[in-house]
Amino acid sequence: MAYSDKVIDHYNNPRNVGSMDKSSADVGTGLVGAPECGDVMKLQIKVNPQTNVIEDAKFKTFGCGSAIASSSLATEWVKGKTIDEALTIKNTEIVKELSLPPVKIHCSVLAEDAIRAAICDWKKKQGAEKPVAAEAK
Amino acid sequence: MTTKSAFTGISTKPPAEENHSCWSCGAMRAAHFCESCGKVQPPAPVDYFAFFGLPRRQLNLDVAKLEKDFYELSRKLHPDVSARASAQEQEWSLEQSSMLNDAYRTLRDPIKRTQYLLRLEGIELEEQSKSATERARATGETKKQIVPPDLLEEVFELNMQLEELRAQKKMGEDDPALVEEVGRQKLELEERYDGLLEELENYWKEWDVLIDRGPEANAEERAAVAKKMVDVLNRRNYIRNLVRDVTAVLES
Ligand code: FES
Repeated sequence: MAYSDKVIDHYNNPRNVGSMDKSSADVGTGLVGAPECGDVMKLQIKVNPQTNVIEDAKFKTFGCGSAIASSSLATEWVKGKTIDEALTIKNTEIVKELSLPPVKIHCSVLAEDAIRAAICDWKKKQGAEKPVAAEAK
Repeated sequence: MTTKSAFTGISTKPPAEENHSCWSCGAMRAAHFCESCGKVQPPAPVDYFAFFGLPRRQLNLDVAKLEKDFYELSRKLHPDVSARASAQEQEWSLEQSSMLNDAYRTLRDPIKRTQYLLRLEGIELEEQSKSATERARATGETKKQIVPPDLLEEVFELNMQLEELRAQKKMGEDDPALVEEVGRQKLELEERYDGLLEELENYWKEWDVLIDRGPEANAEERAAVAKKMVDVLNRRNYIRNLVRDVTAVLES
């Protein structure tokens, strides 16, 4: 299948690949999977507890090119954003930016899931006053 | 209540016994050919199960019988057979035969058959993750991952090992301990992969028992069994990838 130039760019030069210390108090980790295809993605954020600003982000994705590009882009986008701003990132924006075709939409969903999961993990660690419905099923 | 499946565009309820008559001789029509005059019939808008005369949609199929029916119908619908029939009949034969091929290919494969049935039940396997994400976004709640977190953890870890082994192999210095470890994992994964099919077959049994109890009585129970089947298929996707990737790395 034909990937867009932006996907190819992120695929060849993925930004922010790597990992951070999962047990560190200011690091949030999201590990998510796409049941449709069996691909997995891990995204980690490092958050300044005073300002709630995401200072660093890393990812590692085992999946298709679109998933790698989506997560690479996601790390770029979340950096410098506050937690609340990062939560507004929608998979449809990723689809648009990377010109993903309909069959690759689930790959962008994976990236949105990863951001949300990482933030949720971080919030849990902070014992946030307003827990993100961690018990909700 | 009759629901329409977006995927197939056909009714998801088993059709009531078709009572139409043959377009040619007026006798009661059969599914594909008139029992009385033998002429091909226009394709009926039925699902694949009904196409093969299995309107109750049991999942445990007699595959040998399915194959036999397939070959028999293929033969009868073959263009050579209808070469002298009217253009309309030839067209119907062609349509029937293309549906026959799709139906057979879907039903003979255990996984495709299950996926197809789930779609008929209104479950869009490709959409499940996306809709869960949309729900999470709308409510601000945490999306529950569709497979157990342990499994994701395991998939991730094994992929890390594979990446390492791949890199080692590229340099021509594979660590024998890692090769052995990954080889062991391969066997275990293959076993699990087979085990998941067995698990799925158990749910088929549950499903067929429910079906035998009648169509209306047990919508909730049906949904519960359907959900179990969805779960197995999801987990199976991850294991399938691992088996594929582990094999590729070991053989590289
Ligand atoms: S195909 Fe699975 S994430 Fe893209």
